Amino acid sequence: MASTIIETAGLTRSYGDICALKPLELSVPEGEWLSVMGHSGSGKSTLLNLVGGLDRPTAGVLKVGGEDLLGRDEDGLARFRREFVGIIFQQHHLVPYLTALENVMLAQYFHSVPDEAEARFALERVGLGHRLKNRPGELSGGEQQRVCIARAIINSPKLLLGDEPTGNLDHKSTTMVLELLRELRAEERFTIIMVTHNQEVAAWGDRTIYLDDGVLVREERKTG
Amino acid sequence: MSLPYYVPGELSVLLRILKNSFLKRPRSIFLVFLSITMGAAVATSFLGIAGEISHKMALELRSYGANILLEPSALEGGGFLREEDLPKVKTVFWKYNITGFTPYLFGLADFTVGAKHERGVMTGTWFYKQLEVAGEEPSFQGVKVIAPWWELQGGMPQDADEAVVGAALARRLGLSVGSRVESAVKGERKSFRVVGIVTTGGYEEEQFFAPLVTVQSLLGKQGKLSRVLVSAVTVPMDDFGRKDPARMSKDEYEKWYCTAYVTSVAKNVEEVMAGSRAKPIWQIASAEGALLKKLNSVVLLLTFLALGASAIAVSTSLMASMAERSPEIALMKAIGADRLQITAIFLGETLIISVAGGIVGYLLGDQLAGLISHTVFNSAIKSPLWLFPTALISAFLVAIAGSVAPLRRAFLIEPVRVLKG
Repeated sequence: MASTIIETAGLTRSYGDICALKPLELSVPEGEWLSVMGHSGSGKSTLLNLVGGLDRPTAGVLKVGGEDLLGRDEDGLARFRREFVGIIFQQHHLVPYLTALENVMLAQYFHSVPDEAEARFALERVGLGHRLKNRPGELSGGEQQRVCIARAIINSPKLLLGDEPTGNLDHKSTTMVLELLRELRAEERFTIIMVTHNQEVAAWGDRTIYLDDGVLVREERKTG
Repeated sequence: MSLPYYVPGELSVLLRILKNSFLKRPRSIFLVFLSITMGAAVATSFLGIAGEISHKMALELRSYGANILLEPSALEGGGFLREEDLPKVKTVFWKYNITGFTPYLFGLADFTVGAKHERGVMTGTWFYKQLEVAGEEPSFQGVKVIAPWWELQGGMPQDADEAVVGAALARRLGLSVGSRVESAVKGERKSFRVVGIVTTGGYEEEQFFAPLVTVQSLLGKQGKLSRVLVSAVTVPMDDFGRKDPARMSKDEYEKWYCTAYVTSVAKNVEEVMAGSRAKPIWQIASAEGALLKKLNSVVLLLTFLALGASAIAVSTSLMASMAERSPEIALMKAIGADRLQITAIFLGETLIISVAGGIVGYLLGDQLAGLISHTVFNSAIKSPLWLFPTALISAFLVAIAGSVAPLRRAFLIEPVRVLKG
């Protein structure tokens, strides 16, 4: 039986009087692909930010990889992000003046030492071996998202977080990205937590949780 | 343009970030460069001329009058100094700091002009005497050298029977330039022709000045002196300079003796004038010291103010640049950059600019120092070697001080807010 990689108890996030995430109990086993669904303002991005160490909870317990993230200071969270987490953004957020290769190496630079061969291999794995020297402005939306995936996996994270990673892509690119993620997960055995609005995209996961107004209201597990 | 293949990956990314930062925001980078350059230039020029200013001002201040008084010691010498010792003053350790000196011999005399009689002080002195000392450059000594502030109507005596009369005494006796005056000292009579009337606002206006050798002869005190006034370029007194030399260790005494304090120069002169006791004229020495100290403080203060202003300008430019770069910083933080790594990138950028700013600032500052020296003191100046590292350090300090506030802002950037949507 797989061990638990994420465990929350009473996890809460408030912004002043607004409670974006109400006490949440959640357990994610290692290697699972968890889809998080809900409409805007339901708290799904808040959950993703908390799990990724980009934000701090107001109350509750948040254990990732067995460690309570609340005990980490600002730099400790930065270390956690670079060593444990890979993030794929909806808007890609690539540095516009760096090439695809350098964008991937940037993550290596903050993690340890950039290795061009490894970065090149990561881009080849996402099918961009021929676009190494291109800057983001010269790539299509799907290609930019694949650079973002290569950057997210380059440091072998245990947890891959996607915040609407296919939200800006057409159907063909969406399928390509999701297939890529499935392949990579099979090879790397990382856990995926993916926030999405799209039921079809959510169906790629092993389990889908539904948030509404900061509360976990429903959970569906893929059968078969 | 790709970077050379041999640049290691770590440097490649860092250099690419730095290069693009320079290329993408040339205006902001130029403003930072300009601010740092101006700071380094002002620091270089001010510090470069600080030593020159002190020296020139010390020389200018010598026109205030002598700052060392040599009198006969109460213990030896029979109440007089010896004229034959005077040339030795030009041979002492601090001889190059001694800008002038003049001897005085005082006596009482009766002056008669027609029906007017008055008893007053007759002073024998050197007016402008060429002094030849073996092994030394010839020099001119006398009141003309140490008291350039004398307002003289007429001229200085050239002959043994010519005299300068203080304005107050001349008024009472009805003397003017060209008049004759009879003097009598213990029955010895001598007639003088008045060649000058002196106004000083001080005790000199009550005196009758004649060549030293004439007065010595009249008073019957050949080769004797009542006092010597010495004018010397000195450094401002500090706590060490005020210590009693008698209580100093050997090393301390050596250091004191080799520093041009007014006390150590006085001691130096005292050693060659037999039976003398040298005393600083504190109202002059203190005023000069205080003025020079204040001058140095003003130069230092202006330097710090200029560097501070540059740092503020750097900070303002970087703040604007930081606001523009917040998405980039947020992304770096999101993918794991900690504060040290953020600092390394942004401080690295500023330090690179500061190296260029320091070099250009040094070159500009050197020219500026030369211009100031030429304009104010009419002399050329040679920048000391230490000014180059000083300019670079000033530039670094400005860069670091100017980066503090922008870096704090960078630390406060929250990736979640900036990268949202």
